[in-house]
Amino acid sequence: MLKNYFKIIWRNLIREKQFTFLNILGLTIGITSCFMIGLYVYSETNYDTFHENGDRIYRVNQSYIWGDWNKQYASTGPNVAEALKADAPEFEKITRMLDAGAQTMRRKSENQDRDLFKEEKAFLAEENFFEVFSFRFKEGDIQTALKEPMSMVITEEMAQRYFGNEDALGKQLEVRESNDQWSTFTVTAVLENLPNNSHLEFDVLMSLSTIQNRLDRQNWLWAWTGFATYGLIKEGTNVEVLEEKIQAIPPKWAALTTQRLFNQSYEAFTAENEWRLYLQPLRGIYLSNDPKSHLFGPTGKPQFVKLFIAIGILILFLSSINFMNLSTARSSKRAKEVGIRKVLGSERTRLIKQFILESTLFVTVSTIFALVLVQLFLGVFNAIADKNLSMLPVLGNPICITLIVLFILVLGILSGSYPAFYLSAFRPIETLKGKMSSVFKGKNLRNGLVVFQFTVSIALIIFAFFVQKQLSYTSSLDLGLLKDNVLQIHNFEQLEGQGETLKEKLKANPAFTHVGMSYGIPPNVTSGDKYRAFGPENPALHFDDVRTEGDFLDLLGVEFLAGRNFDPLREADKYGVVLNEEAVKMFGWGNKENYHNDSPVGKYVAMTNENASKMEVLGVVKDFNFSSTKEKIGPLVILHKDNDWVWNYGRGRTYLAARINPQTVSNTGELQGVIDDIQQEMKKMDASVLFEYSFLDQEFENTFRTEQQMATILNIFTVLALIIACLGLFGLAAFSAEQRVKELGIRKVLGAKVSELAMLFSSEFTKLIIISVVLASPLAYFLVKEWLKDFAYSTPIEFWVFATAALSAIVITIVTVSFQTMKIAMANPVDSLRTE
Amino acid sequence: MLLQLNNISKWVHSGGQKVYLLKDISFWVNEGDFISIMGPSGSGKSTLLHILGMIDDFNEGEYTFLDESVHNLKEKYRANLYKQYIGFVFQSYHLIDELTVKENLEMPLLYKKYSGSERKAMVADMLDRFNIVGKKDLFPTQLSGGQQQLVGIARALIASPKLILADEPTGNLNSKQGEEIMDIFTQLNKEGVTIIQVTHSEKNMAYGSRVINLLDGSIQ
Repeated sequence: MLKNYFKIIWRNLIREKQFTFLNILGLTIGITSCFMIGLYVYSETNYDTFHENGDRIYRVNQSYIWGDWNKQYASTGPNVAEALKADAPEFEKITRMLDAGAQTMRRKSENQDRDLFKEEKAFLAEENFFEVFSFRFKEGDIQTALKEPMSMVITEEMAQRYFGNEDALGKQLEVRESNDQWSTFTVTAVLENLPNNSHLEFDVLMSLSTIQNRLDRQNWLWAWTGFATYGLIKEGTNVEVLEEKIQAIPPKWAALTTQRLFNQSYEAFTAENEWRLYLQPLRGIYLSNDPKSHLFGPTGKPQFVKLFIAIGILILFLSSINFMNLSTARSSKRAKEVGIRKVLGSERTRLIKQFILESTLFVTVSTIFALVLVQLFLGVFNAIADKNLSMLPVLGNPICITLIVLFILVLGILSGSYPAFYLSAFRPIETLKGKMSSVFKGKNLRNGLVVFQFTVSIALIIFAFFVQKQLSYTSSLDLGLLKDNVLQIHNFEQLEGQGETLKEKLKANPAFTHVGMSYGIPPNVTSGDKYRAFGPENPALHFDDVRTEGDFLDLLGVEFLAGRNFDPLREADKYGVVLNEEAVKMFGWGNKENYHNDSPVGKYVAMTNENASKMEVLGVVKDFNFSSTKEKIGPLVILHKDNDWVWNYGRGRTYLAARINPQTVSNTGELQGVIDDIQQEMKKMDASVLFEYSFLDQEFENTFRTEQQMATILNIFTVLALIIACLGLFGLAAFSAEQRVKELGIRKVLGAKVSELAMLFSSEFTKLIIISVVLASPLAYFLVKEWLKDFAYSTPIEFWVFATAALSAIVITIVTVSFQTMKIAMANPVDSLRTE
Repeated sequence: MLLQLNNISKWVHSGGQKVYLLKDISFWVNEGDFISIMGPSGSGKSTLLHILGMIDDFNEGEYTFLDESVHNLKEKYRANLYKQYIGFVFQSYHLIDELTVKENLEMPLLYKKYSGSERKAMVADMLDRFNIVGKKDLFPTQLSGGQQQLVGIARALIASPKLILADEPTGNLNSKQGEEIMDIFTQLNKEGVTIIQVTHSEKNMAYGSRVINLLDGSIQ
C-alpha cells in the first residue's frame, strides 16, 4: 500500500513539475528561514550554559546610583564582595572582576622591534575566579593561576598572537602603564578559546592581587563602581529570601562612602531612592537587556529574539499555507484519482493518510534542501549578524535530530491536513462525472489564507521600511556638531610630552583645518561624576563629563550660546568649565531665554566632596550629541584637560582629533597618504605607542551597528516572506484559472475582449490584496510605534509609506497573476468548452 | 436473487420544487442476468446505476442486496459490501494516469486483505486473461481507448465480483473496439458474472437478456 502511495506521489511530482517546483521552493524557503532563525534564537537563549555550577551563580547588581536609581547597574564597588562574605554565609564563593580597559601589550624580549597589540578585552580577576566559573584550561594550574601579583591568564588565541606556536606558559608579557612604563606579567595559564556563548568575553585576565595596594587603600569605596561581583550560592538556598536579606548590607557598609565622598549621611543620600542589591541569575544575564554598564562581554537584545521568533513562525505559517493553497489548487486534477479510489473501495481515512503522507514527503524533501541551504548560507548570515552560528553541534545532538523529525511530522500534518480533508471529501460520482461544484466550497477559506499571507507580508514590508527609515533618520540627524571629516588618532596620551609636538605638526599641515585633543570623544563619552552648584546646600547631581581643550570644541563646531571657550593663554581656565544647555538647566539656572537676564556664565560649580573648590562657568554651548542618537542629550560638564581636581575617568581614552580640509585632501588615496605620514611621525617619536585611528562619523554609525544588522536581516526575511506569499498567490491564481476557464470561455464567445477578461480575472486578486492592505496597515502602525518607542529621536510615521507599500503590493499581485491571466484570457474558448 | 429494488425514488430540490431523478423504481436482478438499462439523456440511467453500485444515495424506497438491506446499512458496511461484490466499468475508463496498467489492476486489491504475492498472482492472471501482458508496464495514456477499457474491465473483475456495473462501456470507443468489449461481457456473463449496463445503443442492448427502459426517472 505504502509503496503504491509513494509511487503515485513520485509520479505526480515528476508529471507536474511546475507545481512540484513551486511547492518545494516555497517550503524550502520557509523551512530555511525558520531553521536559520531557530539557530539564531537557540544561540541567543543558550548563553553561559557551560558552567558546571551555572544554575547557582548569580551576579550582584545594584541600583544605578549615578543616574536613574530604578535601573540596575551591573557593577559594584570592591567591597560588596567583602560585605557579602561577612554577612551572607549563603554564598559558597564570591569572586570579582575589574575592567582593565584597553591595554597596549607586547612580548617581553630584547628585540626592539616587537609587535604591539591593543588588548581590548582585558580584565583583572580574583584568585578564586576559576572555582566559580568553568572555563577550560589548556595549560597551567587552576588553583594558583591568579594567585600571585603580576600573573596573567590568556586565551589560546592570544597566546598565538604573541608567541606563535611556542609554548606560552611561564613566558612574559609587558603592559604599558599610564605613566609610560612597561610592567611585566608572567603567563601562568593558557585557556582554551572561550565558548561563543559566554557573556564574559576576555582575552586576558590579570590577577586582581596585582593592584592589591590600591585595593587596600580604596576597598571601602562603594563609589568605585567598576567591579563585577559574582556569587556562587550554596545548594538549596532560597534566592528571593537571600536577596531580601542582603538589602541590609548597603546601609551598613556604604555609609562611609556617602559621608566621605558626597558629604552626606547614608540616609540623606538614599532619601529618595533605595540603594538595592540585586541577584541576577547567570543564565539570564545575556538576554536581560537591563543592567547599565555591562562591561564584560556581549549582551543580546531580547526584543530582537522575540521579533525573530515571531518572524520565523510567521514565515513557516506562510509556507505551510502556500502548500495548502497549491495542493488544493491542483484538486480538480487529483479529484479524479480520489473518485476512482473511492469507487474502488478506499475509505476516507486512507485517502487522508495518503495526502498527509504526501505533504510529509514534501516537507521532508524541503527540509533536506533547507538543511543544505542553511549550511551554505550560514556564513553569510554570520557575517551579517556578527554571530558565530554553526549547524554541526545541532546535527550531532540526538535531541535536535528528534526535534527536526518532529518538526517534519508536525509541519507535514499541518500542511497536509487541509488538502487531505478537502480532497478526501469529494463525492466520487461528482468528480467522476466532472461536476466539480463541490470544489468551490472552501473558496472563502482559501482567499482568507491568501489575505493572511499578504497581510503578514505587507505589514513586514511597512515595518522593515520604517526600520530602515529610522536608521537613515538617526544618521542624518543634526547632532549639533560637525561629524564629517574628523580623523581621530588614538593613544595620544602615551606620547606624553611629544604629543604637543605632534599636535603642532598637524596644525601646520595644510591637510587639516583644526586639531584638538580630548579624553573621550563623541559618541563615546562614557565618564561622569557628581557635581553641585557651588554651595553646600545645593544637591549633588550626576552629570556626564568630558575633558578636553578649547581647540577641540572649535573643531567640533559646537555653538556657544553664552560666554566663551577655554583660552590656552589664560592659566585660570584650567579650573573653568563649559556646560551644555541641559547641564545649566540641571544646576537650576534656567534655559537659554534666561541667559541675558541671569547669565550662568561666571557662576560656580563644584565636586561634592567636603571642601571642594569652586570651578567657574566660562561658557554655555548649545546641546550637541555626545553619546548616541538613541538617547536624548543629557547634561554635560566639559572640563579642561588639565583639571586635576576631578578624577580623570577618561584615562586610556585620549584622542587627537583633526578636521580634514576637503580642499587639500580630496580623495581616499590622498587621505591614506596623510594618515601614513602621521603614522611615520608617531613611530619616530615613540615606537612603543600603538598607532590607531578612526573617523568620527563612522563612530556614530557604529552606535547603530546592531540595529543596522537587525534591519538587514529583517529585510532579507521580509523579501523571503513576500516571495512565499507570491508563490501562494500564484497558486491561487492557477487554481482560479482552472475553475473559471469555462466561464471565461463563454464570456469570450459572447464577445468579451482579452483586456476585459484580464481585468475581470485579476480584479479578484486585487480585491484580496486591498483587504490585506487594510488589515496590515494598523498592524504595521502598531509595530512601528512599538519599535520607535526605544528611540529618543524617531522618524515620523508618514502616510505615504503605507500608500507606497499598498501600491507596490498591488503591482506585485498583478504581475504575479498576469501569467495566469494571459493564459486564460488568450485561450481559445473552443478548447475549454469542448470538454463537456 | 442477487438484488431487489422496491419503490426507489430520488429527487433534488430545484427552485423550491421537487424534481424527481428517479421515481418508484422497482425491479430485481438474479445472479447470471445481463441487463441493459436504456433511455434518453437525463432519464436517470446513470443515477440508477450509481444507486445500484451503492455510491449514490436515494431518498425513498428499499434496496436489498444479497439479503442485506442496503438502505439500513451504515456507510462502512455498505462500502465493504460493494467492495466485495461489485465491480465498476466507466465510459471514460477512469484509470489512474500516474499508475501503469499492472498497478491500476492491483489497486482494488490494495483496499482488500490480500498479501503481496496473492496480488501479484491475481494481476498476472488478469493480464493473461485479457491478453495484455505485453502492456503491463505502460501508462494508460499510452494505450488506445479500447485497450484502456479492457484494462478498466480487468480492474473491475480482478476481485471476482458477483456484479459488474458498466456505465456506457463502449461510449467512447469506435464500433470495432465496442464489439470486442461487448463480446468480453458476453463471455463473462456466460461464466456466471451478473452484468448491468447502461447504454444508448440498440446494438449493445441486444447483448443483454433483459432491458429496463427509463424515461424521466420512471420505468416504462
